[in-house]
Amino acid sequence: MNNPRFARTAGWLLLACLVAAGVLAWYVTRQPATPFAQESTASADPALVSRGEYVARLSDCVACHSLAGKAPFSGGLEMATPLGNIHATNITPDRDAGIGTYSLADFDRAVRHGVAPGGKRLYPAMPYPSYAKLSDDDIRALYAFFMHGVQPDKQANIPSDIPWPLNLRWPIALWNGVFAPTAPYAAKPNQDAVWNRGAYIVQGPGHCGSCHTPRGLAFNEKALDESGAPYLAGGLLDGWYAPSLRQDHNTGLGRWSEAHIVQFLKTGRNQHAVVYGSMTEAFNNSTQFMTDDDLAAIARYLKSLPGDPQRDGPPWQYVAADTRQDIPGAHTYATRCAACHGSDGKGQPEWMPPLAGATSALAKENASAINITLNGSQRIVAAGVPDAYRMPAFREQLSDTQIAEVLTYVRSTWGNHADAVDAKAVGKLRGHTDPASASPIILQMR
Amino acid sequence: MELRINQKTYQVDADADTPLLWVIRDDLGLTGTKYGCGLAQCGACSVLVDGNVVRSCVTPVAGVVGREVTTIEAIEDDEVGKRVVATWVEYQVAQCGYCQSGQVVAATALLKHTPAPSDAQIEAAMINLCRCGTYNAIHSAMQALAKPESA
Repeated sequence: MNNPRFARTAGWLLLACLVAAGVLAWYVTRQPATPFAQESTASADPALVSRGEYVARLSDCVACHSLAGKAPFSGGLEMATPLGNIHATNITPDRDAGIGTYSLADFDRAVRHGVAPGGKRLYPAMPYPSYAKLSDDDIRALYAFFMHGVQPDKQANIPSDIPWPLNLRWPIALWNGVFAPTAPYAAKPNQDAVWNRGAYIVQGPGHCGSCHTPRGLAFNEKALDESGAPYLAGGLLDGWYAPSLRQDHNTGLGRWSEAHIVQFLKTGRNQHAVVYGSMTEAFNNSTQFMTDDDLAAIARYLKSLPGDPQRDGPPWQYVAADTRQDIPGAHTYATRCAACHGSDGKGQPEWMPPLAGATSALAKENASAINITLNGSQRIVAAGVPDAYRMPAFREQLSDTQIAEVLTYVRSTWGNHADAVDAKAVGKLRGHTDPASASPIILQMR
Repeated sequence: MELRINQKTYQVDADADTPLLWVIRDDLGLTGTKYGCGLAQCGACSVLVDGNVVRSCVTPVAGVVGREVTTIEAIEDDEVGKRVVATWVEYQVAQCGYCQSGQVVAATALLKHTPAPSDAQIEAAMINLCRCGTYNAIHSAMQALAKPESA
C-alpha cells in the first residue's frame, strides 16, 4: 500500500475523527454556564435559609435523599433503573461524605444541569430536567438551606451496581443535550401571575411530570411544559399509573374544581380520591407543606391544560349497579371491598375513595388498580396525624384470578368502562412488587 | 351530629373521621359489637348500614349520618335476623362467642339480599374470622337457613 492518494485521504479522515472526538470530549465534560460563578459563600441569613427550606419542600428533595431512621438528606434510597440499581446521595453539608465543599456554582450545576464538580454527569433519576426551570433566587435560597439549615452527616454514598461500560457517565451529556432544558422558567406574558406561579411549581420544583408525563424510548419525558400534548397526560412508572392531570373527564382532573385540587394536595383526600402509591410520599413530604396561595396557583395552572376526548373515551356517568351476585368478582367485591367502598361503589368520601368513576377504574393502564389491591396503601400523615383508614393488602388473601375478577368487576360496574384485567398481569405485578423477588420495585418497598 | 341506630336517634359529639365502632361502643355503650383487628379484616365489628354489612372499625362516623344502622342488639327486630339467631342457637354455633355478633350480622346481610344462597355464595359471604374455629357449625347453620322451606 503505497498509494499517496490513499494515505492523504486516510490522513484527512483520521484528522476529522480526532477533531470530532475532541469536540465530543469537550462537550461531554464541559462545565455548564452558571450565573453564580462569582458567588462562593452561602449566606446564613435566616430568612434566606427558611425560604430555601420551603423550596426544598416544593422540590421534595427529602423523598429520595433520606431514608426513614437515618439523618435527613444523608441519602441512600435505592432506585431501580433499566441498567441496574443506583442510590440517592448524601446531600448534607458534610465536607467529606456530603456536599459541604460545593460552591454555589457547583450546587447550581448539579441541581439545574445534572453535572457534579469535576464534570461527572448525574443520572436523570435526579429530576434536573425539571429543576432546570428553578429561578436563580430559589437556587440561592436552596443552597443557603443545605449549607446552614441541614445537619452534616457522615453517611458514605453507596456506589451503583451498574456494570462497565454501562456505568460510563459521559453519554448522559448527549442525552442532556437532546432532552434537558437549560433555561429557568420564563413567565408567559399572556397569563396572569397566579397561572405563572402554578406553571413554575408544576414544571420546576414540583417535578410533577416525572411521574405524570409519559416517557419516550430514551426514558425522556415526552413534554416538559404545556406546549406538548403529552405533558402530564398520565404515565406508567414503578408499577403505578400516575393519572392524567389534564382536563380529561375520566382519567384526568376534568371533574375536579380548583378547590378540589387544593384540598387534595393540602389534606391528601377529597370527594374524588385519596392519595395512594407514590403520591402518598409526595403528599406526606411535599404538597401538604405548600402555602394555600401556591396550591391555588397549581390548581389554576392544571385546570388550564385541555383534555383529549379521543384518548379519554366516552365521559363517565354513574349507573346504578346490577345487584346480581353471580357475575365473577361480584362476591369478592361484596365481601372484601364493599365494607369500605360501598356496595354502590361510592365509598365514604372523603375517607374511603369512591371506585365509581375512579381514574384507576377508567384508565386503560391497570397497574395502579392491581398494585393497590395486592399491596395496600401506605400511611398518609396529614398535619402530623396518621390516617385512621388504610387500604389493606390482599396479596396473601386473594389469588391472581380473584384479584383479576374483582378488578374486572369494579372496572365494568357503576358506569366504569375500562378493559378487563388479566390474571397474568396480576401475577406479573405480584412478582415485581414482592420483597423477596430478584427485581423488586424498590421505591415501593419502604 | 345525628345518628340513627337501631331505630333510635342519637346526638353524638365526635370528630367526623372517628370510626363508627368507637362511637357505638364507647359513646353509646352498645358493646355487643366487638373490636377485633381494627383493619376491616376479621369482621368482628360488622354492623348493618341500610341493610348492607359494614365493618364499623373502618367506617368514619360521618359516613353513616342519614343512614339506618343496625347493631347486634337490635338484630332480632329484623325478621331475617331473628331467624338467624334462632338457627345459631339451634346449632349451638358459638364457642367463646367473641366473633359471633359479627357472624350473625354477616349472615343476616347475606340472607336479606339472597334468601336462598348457594354453597358458593355462603362461602364467599361468610368470611369473618373465628379463632375458635366454629366454621363448620356456621356452615351447617347457614345451610339450614338457606333451605327454601325455612324461608
